[in-house]
Amino acid sequence: MAAFDLVVIGAGPGGYPAAIRAAQMGASVAIVEKEELGGTCLNWGCIPTKTLIASSELLERIKSAESMGLRVSGASFDYAAMADRKDQVVQKLRNGVKQLLKANGVTVFQGCASYQTRNRIQVESNGASALLTAGKSIIATGTASAMPGFLPRHERIVESRGFLRLRALPATTLILGGGIIGCEFACMLAQLGVKVTMVELLEDIIATIDADVRRELRRHMEKDLGIRILTGVTLEEIAADDRGVRGRAGQETLEADLLLVALGRRPVLDGLKLENAGLAPNARGFLDVDAYDRTRVATVYAVGDITGGPLLAHLATSQGIVAAENACGSYLHKNETVVPNCIFTTPEIGTVGLSEQEAQQQGRKIKTGKYLFGALGKALAIGEPHGFVKWVADAETDQLLGAHAVGPHATDIIAEAGVAIRAELTASDLAHTIHAHPTLAEAWMEAAHALIGEPIHSAPPRKPS
Amino acid sequence: MVKAVTMPKLGQSEETVKIVKWRKQVGDAVAKGEIILEIETDKAVLEVESFFAGTLLKVVAGEGVTVPVQTTVAFIGDPGEAVPDVAPSTTPAATHGPKHESMGPLTRPSPDGHPLPLEREKGLSPLPAERVVPSGGDRVRGSVTSQSSNEGSFQPSASPEVFRISPRALKLAKESAIDPTQIAGTGPGGRIVERDVRDYLEAHGYNRLRITPTAKKLAAREGIDLLSLAGKANGNQITVADIERIVSERPKPLAHIRQIIARRLTESYTHAPHFFVTVSADITEVEALRATLKAQGTAYTVSDFIVKAAAMALEEFPIVNSVSDGEAVRAHSSIDLGLAVALEQGLVVPVIRHANELTLAEIHLRAQDLTARARSGRLMPDEMTCSTFTISNMGMLDVENFTAIINPGESAILAVSSGAKQPVVKNDQVVVRTMMKMTLSSDHRLIDGALAARFLNSIRKHFEEISLWQRLT
Ligand SMILES: Cc1cc2nc3c(=O)[nH]c(=O)nc-3n(C[C@H](O)[C@H](O)[C@H](O)COP(=O)(O)OP(=O)(O)OC[C@H]3O[C@@H](n4cnc5c(N)ncnc54)[C@H](O)[C@@H]3O)c2cc1C
Repeated sequence: MAAFDLVVIGAGPGGYPAAIRAAQMGASVAIVEKEELGGTCLNWGCIPTKTLIASSELLERIKSAESMGLRVSGASFDYAAMADRKDQVVQKLRNGVKQLLKANGVTVFQGCASYQTRNRIQVESNGASALLTAGKSIIATGTASAMPGFLPRHERIVESRGFLRLRALPATTLILGGGIIGCEFACMLAQLGVKVTMVELLEDIIATIDADVRRELRRHMEKDLGIRILTGVTLEEIAADDRGVRGRAGQETLEADLLLVALGRRPVLDGLKLENAGLAPNARGFLDVDAYDRTRVATVYAVGDITGGPLLAHLATSQGIVAAENACGSYLHKNETVVPNCIFTTPEIGTVGLSEQEAQQQGRKIKTGKYLFGALGKALAIGEPHGFVKWVADAETDQLLGAHAVGPHATDIIAEAGVAIRAELTASDLAHTIHAHPTLAEAWMEAAHALIGEPIHSAPPRKPS
Repeated sequence: MVKAVTMPKLGQSEETVKIVKWRKQVGDAVAKGEIILEIETDKAVLEVESFFAGTLLKVVAGEGVTVPVQTTVAFIGDPGEAVPDVAPSTTPAATHGPKHESMGPLTRPSPDGHPLPLEREKGLSPLPAERVVPSGGDRVRGSVTSQSSNEGSFQPSASPEVFRISPRALKLAKESAIDPTQIAGTGPGGRIVERDVRDYLEAHGYNRLRITPTAKKLAAREGIDLLSLAGKANGNQITVADIERIVSERPKPLAHIRQIIARRLTESYTHAPHFFVTVSADITEVEALRATLKAQGTAYTVSDFIVKAAAMALEEFPIVNSVSDGEAVRAHSSIDLGLAVALEQGLVVPVIRHANELTLAEIHLRAQDLTARARSGRLMPDEMTCSTFTISNMGMLDVENFTAIINPGESAILAVSSGAKQPVVKNDQVVVRTMMKMTLSSDHRLIDGALAARFLNSIRKHFEEISLWQRLT
């Protein structure tokens, strides 16, 4: 029986960094993975989708090259080749994870882990089994697509992971669910010429983000990408056969070649035999942890999607590192709470911290400052003068509490806002920080100027009459 | 037409009233009978209703301000109407306290059916005329008056002759969020100049402090000396959370009413030497009787029986119904029983006057009415003062036994605990009975152990005497 100081279950962006960090701190570490190193993010999530989206966005840019004085004719694509590229990128990164684990002396077990006791973990694969003793363990088993029972089982009805296996695109697609994953796929497919209809039960798409940002995205998806978005309706009587999929939305029957289901994610705890460790999932099926990632059982930690917070790879990684340090070190570290959220739609969205609505719900008095990319030199120069950035700050201290960007490279430029918020900078600190010209990041400075009432490149605040 | 809202006169004993909270803001529509503000007296926090409908046009006296009764505190009228220019007429907060001589009509209707408070003899009495029962806190909303926010402020409060600092030095000290009064000045006449501040910061390792920009700004605003924070942050730098923690840990003034409770109970407990006697009452039969009476339509409480039993015992032992300061003794001419009512945020003690003259049914109705109004915060101050003996019943709170502190102006208090089934020896047989402990706290200056024991046993005897209750109900 192999004995380890720490056993990590699941090798996604939560688990594998935890294993590496613990090994670096001198612990003997094993990691158990039942499928592929890298987990959802690397194999069936962030990386493959962003690789495909990079292709579709480039095509879109090329198609609009004329407006920038370029003449490109006959731009087209080969989806199978795009998918091959995606697989290569995934393969390369997966190998990278393997090397890193090896280089740090982490023992990798391929198989499905289950608890026998809180300190004994069994690994099973293809009938073979191994028993590990674990001083401590970290559960990082992640989530999988939710596929509610009312959906018929048919090859024309897929979720994100199934979609990524396709080698050719459908001509028309129905997307069920207007969350982040649904919207990202919708934009990508529309850019590749697929006719997309999206059905969302709630009153708007991506209901969790700032309302201004949401409005901008929706306008773009509908007007520029021609995506049909139905909100506040359910898709009923869903059926599929050789000819296609059908469903009824209100009075209307919708038809398409494919139905992409993006109804959220369900926690993966099956087969783990949590009860043997003295643990049970909460009412939503996730694992409750405290600010230090400890579960109710002293030696068991949990990180990543399975803890039920925002489902984000970088949050999983941050938690994984914190949990490893708490499990192996002598000082407790708290989880980070400033978590950026990037959405790879067209236009891109980056947000971090409080939205205006959240701040109001918390009863905080706030100020906001906004700057439109349409007024920014660099955005005009690159031919993408759409969208805006917005700061939310405390009305009394000017502390930066939230940042929201929608527009060109929003997912990259949000990084600065995350640093500023975590460092508790005030709007005037940010406004007085020199930003290079001409860059998209200047928008943050301009918005901060607006927030403190000293705008240079936008209309001055109206004087109270 | 613009109408003035005047501070109601709350009874015979209140001259001034503190405004706790304006429920309506200027511009808000007000309906007739709607609550517009909360006020606080020595004894309670009360709600004031509007006698008119209209729009709140102007607030003359703001929150935290103490005003004499019957002064104008606001104006109500139609939007846009001109409001008379009235200066807020405030009085120093220290003038709180009952003044018995001020009589006048109540501007607020007196709650129906309760006897008017008795004017007590006070002429040559050596005793304090003012007697406040530990009440209130019940409706206090935690609105802290403005002086609290300056707590711990380092804004120089010393007179300019003593504390001299150049404007630039003061600005630097403020921006750095440090206390300049700690700095030795080297300028003319000991004046602190900018250099002194810089040297001080340097000498105290200010530059080694790590603090986020917002935290620094917040510290400066809250008057927190950052140097006092060195090494006290939760992480490796001082953050907004650290400053907020310090601000939240600052002492905040208790609600006025709690300060009064604190003062008077401390006074009672330190001046009156308390001693305690406990008995167990067998309430099995009373409980059975209560069940029968309830089935017949009247749900008497245990307290109803205790009030009556205590009133009878007080008639037998008038000395317990008296009060002493150690030099004189004053007998109360009536038996007025205070009934402690626990509310979520505090305790109020409404008084059942002449309890000895009331039937059990009358006691029941009176207690029910007072308790209900106590719970909804609608007791008048006069209904909570001048009891002669108090009963505190924690029976519903599952306690075996407890002791209470005597209300100032009284000589004893009865603490009633929960009834519970217990094995009891009766006629040399172990039987199951429902027993309830009662503990009497007495002022030893006036009451000796033997008297306390006889008095308490008298209460017990009346309480257990089932034939008495069968007669009285
Ligand atoms: C289509 C899609 C796009 C996404 N895009 C983004 C994005 O752009 N940015 C972003 O931040 N996030 C994105 N996400 C979310 C991101 O993938 C997850 O938040 C992240 O993968 C969570 O990491 P994790 O380690 O908690 O779990 P996972 O990545 O799900 O890893 C869990 C691992 O545990 C393994 N496992 C489970 N049970 C056992 C067991 N009993 N024994 C052994 N192994 C087990 C699983 O096989 C899996 O490999 C996307 C998700 C999807 C589906």
